[in-house]
Amino acid sequence: MLGINDPQIWIAYLLCFVSAIGCIIYGLIHWNDVEEIGDAN
Amino acid sequence: MTLNTPLLGISVLIYMIVVFYLGWIGYKQTKNTDDYMLAGRKVNPFVLALSYGAAFISTSAIIGFGGYAGAFGMGVLWLVAMNIILGIFIAFIVFGSRTRRMGANLKAVTFPELIGKRYRSRFIQGFSGALITIFMPLYAGGVLIGGARFMEVALGIEYNTAVMLLAVIVAAYVITGGLIAVMYTDALQGALMFLGMGILFVLTYAKLGGVVKAHQALTDMAPLVPANLAAIGHTGWTSMPAFGTPVWWTLVSTIILGVGIGVLAQPQLAVRFMTVKDTRTLKRAVLSGGPFIFMMAGVAYIVGALSNVYFMDTRGVIALDAAGGNIDKIMPEYIYSAMPDYFVIFFLLTLLAAAMSTLSSQFHTMGTAIGHDFYREFLMKGKLGNTITITRMGIATTIIISVALAYKLPPGIIARATAIFFGLCAAAFLPMYTGGIFWKRMNRQGATASLLVGTFASLFWLTFVNGKVASSLGISKAIFGVDTLLTGTWTFVDPILVATPLAFIVAIIVSLMTRPDPEEHVELCFKK
Repeated sequence: MLGINDPQIWIAYLLCFVSAIGCIIYGLIHWNDVEEIGDAN
Repeated sequence: MTLNTPLLGISVLIYMIVVFYLGWIGYKQTKNTDDYMLAGRKVNPFVLALSYGAAFISTSAIIGFGGYAGAFGMGVLWLVAMNIILGIFIAFIVFGSRTRRMGANLKAVTFPELIGKRYRSRFIQGFSGALITIFMPLYAGGVLIGGARFMEVALGIEYNTAVMLLAVIVAAYVITGGLIAVMYTDALQGALMFLGMGILFVLTYAKLGGVVKAHQALTDMAPLVPANLAAIGHTGWTSMPAFGTPVWWTLVSTIILGVGIGVLAQPQLAVRFMTVKDTRTLKRAVLSGGPFIFMMAGVAYIVGALSNVYFMDTRGVIALDAAGGNIDKIMPEYIYSAMPDYFVIFFLLTLLAAAMSTLSSQFHTMGTAIGHDFYREFLMKGKLGNTITITRMGIATTIIISVALAYKLPPGIIARATAIFFGLCAAAFLPMYTGGIFWKRMNRQGATASLLVGTFASLFWLTFVNGKVASSLGISKAIFGVDTLLTGTWTFVDPILVATPLAFIVAIIVSLMTRPDPEEHVELCFKK
């Protein structure tokens, strides 16, 4: 995969991209969230 | 390797003018304690994300850990994944939102104060403040060394002068402009770093013939691992070290877990959650925070590892040999020799920005720890005084200590000093911080016990067991006549793996065995 034989490395490599893209998607989805009020913890 | 071109001088000058302008804006906008300590609690998401990331990533991450990847390969990419998932996503969404809310409920302005007020304990606040004051100069000293070494090489300034110059410049805008100045300048520095690392990423892959070709070339270099490194577990630059070997333990325990988990309990980072007005800002900040960390750490480690291919193609040696055996010189050597001149100049600015942004947040945190947490709350029992003046004096004092350390610390200490501080924070602060914001039953006794156990277990492990630190301190040798009390694998295990779980267990057991904190106080803390 991607010129790397050890799965422990290419998984980490891909995970870096996936998690960074995940952060972008999460930020976009929640961009206009309204604060929840009065929701007792 | 001195790049003393007028272009570099002009670039640094323009950069400094903008930094001082932002410092001046911070000074103008600072009207009260909340402004000075927390930037008025209304920071916008991009400033938060860039400032958090820029304070987190210093020259140590780019040069120190990038060089580590050059020597030991891409296994350190797990740290990048940890930093994005744990250090950004979990930190902002899970820890950040609760920290922000509790900080506002308790009117806390610093990290030790948040914990101290949660447990109604001046001792916890004072002890945490003292711990930061004593040990953060070690980390700040390390960053100062990195920044000053850059100025020495690039600008041709003598090292001792460079340390002093860097400290004075950062001190000037931190002392006058408080956290507003720190965060604005951090954001500018973060943007510069993002651009610099982005260009480095693209140029490196382009130079080596594309992603797959570059990786394949690196994979094919595995038989070239020096025999002495292969003997301790190094298996190649695109494979994990052999399980259980010294290289594996250092990578997994000190670097991936130590720094990866330690980031959650960093006072200078956690305090930033209290600078925003709502949870939505934290969610928005994730958008730029994740890619930022990838661009810094991810790119530094990938490029560091791939520098082996470049040095093999051009000089027929591996990166470690090209750098004369010094890990800290791999990244500078690669950038000087492989990148075009205009980029080298820009990248040097990037590094200066990385050092300054981390230093400014460290100075601010140490100053507030001394002035607010230790002096005002612990010594003066909360008596109102001129907190900002005392804090400013505190900042000046800790800067002098950091500068003294930068003169005294041995070479090659940068990454180790960083890791020691991260590990100590994890053991001392993480259990009472996590318990404090997630577990209502956690009480003052549990928090106090975990703080003391985490701190002293960490220090004990560093002094008597951890091979590298214990033998260089020499305390164990002086008392017991042996470098370390335990031998074998134990000496490679980072204190974080021992002290942090121990502190968590103590926190839970002591909390459950003692009376809960008054209900009305706990309700106030957790109020939405």
